[in-house]
Amino acid sequence: MVSLSRALGSERKHKLRSVRVFHVNSGACNGCDIELLDILTPFYDAERLGIKLVSTPRHAHALLVTGPLTRKTASAVLKAYEAMPSEPRIVIAIGTCACSGGIFYDSYALYRRIERYEKIDVPRRGGISELIPVDIYIPGCPPRPEEILYGISVLLELANERLTKQYYKEDSVEEYKIIRKKKSVVNERLVLSLREKTRHIIGYFDRDRVLKIFLEMVEIAEKCEDPKNELSRLIEEYCKKEKDSRIRECLRILEKDYWRLKNALLSREEVIYWI
Amino acid sequence: MSKIVTLEYPLKELKAPEEYRGLPYIDPHKCIGCGACRNACPSDAVMKIDDIKNGIRKIILDVGRCIRCGRCEEVCPTGAIKLTTIFEAASKSRENHIEIIELKLLRCSRCGRYSEFTERQVMFALDILPREALEVEALDKRIWLCRDCRRETALSEAVDKEWKWYYGKLVKSTWE
Repeated sequence: MVSLSRALGSERKHKLRSVRVFHVNSGACNGCDIELLDILTPFYDAERLGIKLVSTPRHAHALLVTGPLTRKTASAVLKAYEAMPSEPRIVIAIGTCACSGGIFYDSYALYRRIERYEKIDVPRRGGISELIPVDIYIPGCPPRPEEILYGISVLLELANERLTKQYYKEDSVEEYKIIRKKKSVVNERLVLSLREKTRHIIGYFDRDRVLKIFLEMVEIAEKCEDPKNELSRLIEEYCKKEKDSRIRECLRILEKDYWRLKNALLSREEVIYWI
Repeated sequence: MSKIVTLEYPLKELKAPEEYRGLPYIDPHKCIGCGACRNACPSDAVMKIDDIKNGIRKIILDVGRCIRCGRCEEVCPTGAIKLTTIFEAASKSRENHIEIIELKLLRCSRCGRYSEFTERQVMFALDILPREALEVEALDKRIWLCRDCRRETALSEAVDKEWKWYYGKLVKSTWE
C-alpha cells in the first residue's frame, strides 16, 4: 500500500509548467478515453498547455486515470504509479468513475479497501482514490474535452476552482409559504397531472416550456365567458405560428386532457390522473 | 493564408450549448425533501438522511458521483432539481462537489415526536389535493399528526361514535 504522507503533506517546491502524462485505463468504458484523444487534436490542443502523452510511466510527471478501478487492473495501476519518478507524482482522475465509482459504485468487480461501508459516506467513496492519492478530480460522464482542459488548467494554476461546498439550512417554513402563494387559476393537482402527460408526449427536456405556454393560454381563456371555445381558438392561433409539429400535437392533446380532468373534478366523478 | 482553429478555452470563457446536460443543482427554496430524486438516481449520488431525534432531514447531492442522466429532473414534483449547463466541476478536493439541504421534519401536534416527513411535504400535499372532493375539516385536523397518532385518533373517534354504548355494555357484562 502506498503511503498517504505525500498526498496530504508537503506542498510542491516548484510550480508545474510542462507536464508529461501517462494514460492508464483502469476498467473504463472507453468514453473518457475518447474524450482524452479529443484534447490532443488541433482544435483543443492540450500541448499548448504543456501536456504531452508519453509512452512509459518512467518519463511521466502525472498519471491520467480513467475508469472505476477494477480488481484486475488495481495491481497494474499501482505498478504504473510506483514506476513514476517520486517527484512530483501527480494523479489526475478523469470521469465520474475514477472520482467516486460512478454508475459501477456497487459492483463486485471493483477494488475497495473495505468490502462494505458501514457508515453513510459523504463525499461518496470509491474510484481511484481507494488505491492511490489523487491530486485533482475531473467528474463527468464522460467529461467534455473543455472540462478536462479546465481541470488541467486548475492543476497548472491557470484557472480557479469554480465549485464550492453548498450548505442550506431551513430557518422556518415561512420561506416556502411565500413561494407557494403564487397560485395559478389551474388547480395544482391538474398542473401536476398535465406535467406528467407532457413528459409522456415530448420528454422531460421541453416539458416545462410547453406546459408554461399552455397554462398561460388557459389563464386567458378562463377569464372569458366561453372558456372552451376560447381555449381551442387560442391553441389553433398558436399552432399556425409554431413550426415544431411535436408541440402542436402536444398542445391539442393537453387541451383534451385538461377538460377531461376538470369536468370530472367538478362533477366529483372518478378520474385517472397521470401521476 | 492559414486560419487558427484552436479553441481559446481555458483563457477565454465558454458556454455550453443549451441542451447540454451539465451539473445538477437543487434549488433549496423549492425543494420539499420528498426524496424522489434519491429513488430515481441510478448511481446513488443523492442521499436522504433522517435524524428523527433532532427533527432534521438532509438531502445531500454529490456531483462527483452524478452521471448526468437527468432522471432526477424527470421525477422532481416541484422542479427543484435541474441540470444546468455548467460543466466546470474539476476540483482538488471532493468536498467541493457536495450540496447539502437541511429541512425540518414535521412535529406531531399531539404526541410531540418528529414524524418521517417534512413540513414542506405536508404543505405540498395540501396544495395538490382537490379540495372539492374531500372533507376539508377532517383533513385539516389529522394532516398535522404523525402516522401513529393519526391511526389512534381515527380509531378512537370511530369507537366514540358508534361503539361506545355497545362497548360499555359489553365490558360490564363480562365483569359481572
